[in-house]
Amino acid sequence: MRPLEDVKVLDFTHVLAGPFGTRVLADMGADVVKIMSAVRERGRGEDSPYSLMWNRNKRSLALDMRREESRALARRLADEADIVIDNFSPGVLDRWNVGYEIVSETNPGVIYVQMSGMGATGPWSSFVTYAPTIHGLGGLTHLTSVPGRGDIGIGYSYNDHQAGLHAAVAVLAALEGRRSTGRGQRVDLSQFEVGVNFAGLALLDWFGNGRSASPVANRDPYDNNAPHGCYPCAGAASDALVDERWVAIACMNDDQWRRLRDVMGDPEWARDPALTTAAGRSEAGDMLDQRIAEWTRGIEAEVVMERCQAAGVPAGVVQTGLDLGERDPQLKLSGFLVEIEEPHPSAGQTYADRLPIYFDRTPCDEYRPAPVVGQHNAEVLSEWLGMSEEETRRGEEAGYLS
Amino acid sequence: MSDSQGPLRAVRIVDLTDERGIYGAKLLADLGADVVRPEPPEGDPLRRRGPHLEEAPGGPTSLWHVFFASSRRFFSVDLDTEAGNAQLDALIDRAHVLLCCAGAFGAESERLDAALSRRPELVVVEASSFGKEGPWRDYLAPHIVAGALGGAVAPTGDVDTPPLNVFGDLNFMVSGVYVALAALGALHHARERGTGQRAHVPVHECIASCLEQVLMWYWYHDRLPMAKGPVLERRGGLHWTNAFQTMRGRDGCIFVTGAPNRDAQLAWLIEEGAAGDLWDPKYQDPENREEYTAVLMQCLREWVATREVGPLFLEAQSRGMAYGAAVPIERTADNPHLAARNWWTDYLPTVRGPGTPYHFSDTPWRIGPYGDVVADTEAVLSDIGWAKGR
Repeated sequence: MRPLEDVKVLDFTHVLAGPFGTRVLADMGADVVKIMSAVRERGRGEDSPYSLMWNRNKRSLALDMRREESRALARRLADEADIVIDNFSPGVLDRWNVGYEIVSETNPGVIYVQMSGMGATGPWSSFVTYAPTIHGLGGLTHLTSVPGRGDIGIGYSYNDHQAGLHAAVAVLAALEGRRSTGRGQRVDLSQFEVGVNFAGLALLDWFGNGRSASPVANRDPYDNNAPHGCYPCAGAASDALVDERWVAIACMNDDQWRRLRDVMGDPEWARDPALTTAAGRSEAGDMLDQRIAEWTRGIEAEVVMERCQAAGVPAGVVQTGLDLGERDPQLKLSGFLVEIEEPHPSAGQTYADRLPIYFDRTPCDEYRPAPVVGQHNAEVLSEWLGMSEEETRRGEEAGYLS
Repeated sequence: MSDSQGPLRAVRIVDLTDERGIYGAKLLADLGADVVRPEPPEGDPLRRRGPHLEEAPGGPTSLWHVFFASSRRFFSVDLDTEAGNAQLDALIDRAHVLLCCAGAFGAESERLDAALSRRPELVVVEASSFGKEGPWRDYLAPHIVAGALGGAVAPTGDVDTPPLNVFGDLNFMVSGVYVALAALGALHHARERGTGQRAHVPVHECIASCLEQVLMWYWYHDRLPMAKGPVLERRGGLHWTNAFQTMRGRDGCIFVTGAPNRDAQLAWLIEEGAAGDLWDPKYQDPENREEYTAVLMQCLREWVATREVGPLFLEAQSRGMAYGAAVPIERTADNPHLAARNWWTDYLPTVRGPGTPYHFSDTPWRIGPYGDVVADTEAVLSDIGWAKGR
C-alpha cells in the first residue's frame, strides 16, 4: 500500500509544472485522473517524450471541454474528487463550469489548487509564463551566470519542477487542514511567487543591507569558502563540448584546504601563508582556480573525485545525463532509473526516475506508463461515477469522450 | 513559531535538519506547524552562514538562518549531558513528525530507532546526501558538489564558461521540498491508518529528478528531432527546444519566445519590419519546422538587441507572449505585481523578504516571527514538563 491510495485527484494540468506535481501524488498512490483531449493533444503528441516523462502512474479520461456533455461530466467528477488541480490561466475552469465557487457548493471538502503563472489576482495575473520567464523576473537568471553577463541562467526549467513540488505540498497540507476544519478550500499558487522565494537570501540581503547580489560563477556567494569551483579534467571522448569532463571541488573550511594541498602533492604555490585562511583564498580566487585547473587537467574527473573524497575533500564529477544513466554507481545500486515493465500503447518501452522518497512501510515502487488520450475512460467513469461500459461507449461514439 | 492559522496548525514537528533538509522544515513551519529546532548550547552552526545583517542589535545576524529557520521555536539543549538527551527524547515523544539529516545535531540513528519503537505512530524523515549504502554513501557533498553529481551543473553555463552551479542553495531547496512531501505523505498515512514509518530521502536522487530535459534526452533522444545524442551540451540561455532564449536587449537581458503563439509573434515581427523571410511559404511545411525555428530566433535576437527590455516585456505580455525581463534582484524587490498582491513579509523588524508561495482561502498563513532561543527554550521545557532545577 502506498501512502495516498485513498486520495482522488482530478487533474486538468498540462506541460510540466502541473503534471510534475500530480506525478508526485500519483507516485505516492493517489488516483490521478488526467483530463486529456484528442483536440488538445493533436500536434503535441500523447507519446511525446515530455508527456512520457511527466504523466506516468496517471489514468486518462478524454473530455472535449468545448462540449456541454463533457463539461457536465467534468462537473460530476469534480464532486467526487478530493483534489481538483489546474495550471491554466485564471478563469478557464470557471468558464467550463468547474470553477471553485461552483464545485465547492456541492463538494465542500474539495481542495482546489490553481497554479497559474502569476496568481489569481494582481496586475500581471493574466501574464503568460514559462519557467525561464519566472527565472528572469525573479532574479535567478541574472544571478546564475558569470560576472558581466546576465543572459545565461539555469540550464533547465528548475521552477517548473519546484512549482509542481510546491503544489503537491499545498495539496497535502490542505488535506491535513481539512481534518481540523472539515472543509476543503481553494489554493492560489503563483508560480512566480514560488520562484521569487528561491532568491530569498539575495532578497533579504537587499532589504536588510542594501546589497545587490551579483553573479559570481561558481564562487561561494556569501561565505568566502575557497576553492569553490568546477575544473576541467582529462578523459574527454572527443573535443566536442558535450564530451568535456569536469569536476567540482569545494573546500568548506581550512582543514579541507590543507587536505587538498596534500592530494595535489603540496605544490610550492599552495604553501603561500596567505592561503591558510578562507579570506585569503577567496581573495586569491582567480589564481587558485587557475592552479587547480592546471592540476586537474591531466587527471580523469572520477580519479580527482575519488582521491579528494578519500582525503576528506568535497569533490564530485560534473555528471551529464549519460553519467547518471550509465556510470553513476549510487543510482545503479538504488535502482533509481527504471524501465517501465508495461509497454506504452504507442511509444513502447518507456522509463522512469523513481520518486526519491523511500517509505519503509508504504513503498512507492509501482510505475505505469503515461496514458494515451481516453485510455481509461471506461474504468474511471465506472469507478468514479458508476457509469456502464455501454454509456461510455455511447459517449465515445458521440465524440464528447474523446 | 508561526502564529498563523495555517493548515498544519495541529501538527508538531522536531527539526533536526541541516542545509539538505531545512527548507522542508521551513515550509512546514511556515504552513503553521509547531516546529521546534533543537541546537547545541554554542548555537546552531547554520547561524554562521552568510549573508549577515551587518547592523543588527547584538552584532551581525545570519540572514541565511533567518530565512531558512523561519517560524520555528529554537531549543538550546546540551546533548553531552544525560538531562539534555532526556529532554530531546521527551520533545520527540510529543511530536507527530521528526525531520532530520544524516549526521546532523541530535540525529543519531539509535535515537531515531528508539523513538519509533516507543511510538509506532511517529513519522521520521531522514535526508542523506547519497543514501544509506553504496560507494558514495560517505562522500562529502556541499551544495556545488551535490549539484555536480546530481546532474544540475552540467546543463548550466555557456560554451565559453565552465559548467555553472545554480546560485544560492537551490539544489538543497529541491531536497528540502521532498523532505516536506515525505513528511506530509507519511503523516497522511499515519492519520488514516494509525501507523507511522520512516522515510528516507537521498539528496542525490532529488536533484536528478528535477532536471527537465536531462534524463529525457538520455532516454528519448532518438525521438527528439533536435537531439544529436544522449546529452545536450550547455549553451547559455538557449532552451532545449531551440525556441526559447534569454537574449540581450539594448539595456539588459530578456527571455524571449514565440510561444505559445507563433503566429502572433510573426505578425509582430512583420509589423516591426524584422521578419526576414519568415513569411516564406516553405516554412509552412512541417519538414522545415526546425529551420523555421532557427531563422525565427535569429530574427528575434537581432530585433531584441535594438529594444529596451522593460517596454518590450510589457508589450510582449500584452500580446500574450511569455517574455520575461532578466532583472537584478533590486528590480525583483520592486516588482509591482508582488506589491499589489501585498506579498512581501517581515522576517525581522528591518528586513523584508519573500512571502508565502501559495495562498489558502480558509486557513491563511504567514511567516512567523524569528525565534528567540532563550525564551523559546524556556517554553519548550515547560511544554515537555521539565521543571526548572530538575
